Amino acid sequence: MLDMLYVAAFTLGGLLFAVGPFVIAHLLAPRSTRQIDQRTKQPIECGVEPIGEAWIRYGVVFYLYALIFLAFDVDVLFLFPVAMAYNTDAGLGMRDFIEIVIFVAILALAIVYAWSKGVFKWDRRTYNQPS
Amino acid sequence: MGPENVQPAIVKFAALDKLLGLGRANSLWPMTFGLACCAIEMMATGAARFDLARFGAEVFRPSPRQCDVMIVAGTISKKMEPAIKTLYDQMPEPKWVIAMGNCAISGGPFVFEGQYGIVEGADKFLPVDIYIPGCPPRPEALIEGILELEEKITGTRRWPRVEAG
Repeated sequence: MLDMLYVAAFTLGGLLFAVGPFVIAHLLAPRSTRQIDQRTKQPIECGVEPIGEAWIRYGVVFYLYALIFLAFDVDVLFLFPVAMAYNTDAGLGMRDFIEIVIFVAILALAIVYAWSKGVFKWDRRTYNQPS
Repeated sequence: MGPENVQPAIVKFAALDKLLGLGRANSLWPMTFGLACCAIEMMATGAARFDLARFGAEVFRPSPRQCDVMIVAGTISKKMEPAIKTLYDQMPEPKWVIAMGNCAISGGPFVFEGQYGIVEGADKFLPVDIYIPGCPPRPEALIEGILELEEKITGTRRWPRVEAG
């Protein structure tokens, strides 16, 4: 019960610590600012007028690029435990080596596939809609 | 353009205002914003040798929404003027402007017959609080300007005044 009280007290303290400054700033800060060009609400903060919207259409090439990044990323993700366990059982390590080569080769097939599909060619792409 | 247009805070006491002024004066946050060669002196002021941190004004903020002080450090070209206006608009209210160097004060060496590209002084379009003369002013001069601004905010001088000589 006492533990729960401690947790509650610290949660409350943390919340106050986070929300308190907002409340204090709201109460103590002047509520408007001097303007000479009526641009206080402009989202861009470097002085330059924004060029168009952020919600624009990107080339699908970026999406494919991100997918291929995943292929490499997963490789690395699985290689960390391998590096931890590699060569621990005092053998010659040949079996470990062959296993990791097979594993990486299978994962690398994704890259070979993408390569053969022409993902690495940085072109604007148009796809035909299935009719 | 004056402070009379500013909506005051919800909570306002004289003693609290003095305390807040003291806090603001001793932790001025200038904007990372250099226009010409005066900015080099401004950087020197912020760096280790002249160490603006001694006076609490070393936190140069890259966003106008976090700044108190705009140090107009350098020549204001007419191309740059709208950007400076926007940055000034975007600073939240307790805000001050320091015109650093002769160009920001009056146009400096660029004032001549038929000159078409330079705004002759920051006070043509900004409410300037402190003027720092020099071409460019030495870092000590900028520090002195910031101390003057502190004096303007709090009403008292915290640091000893150094006599020339």
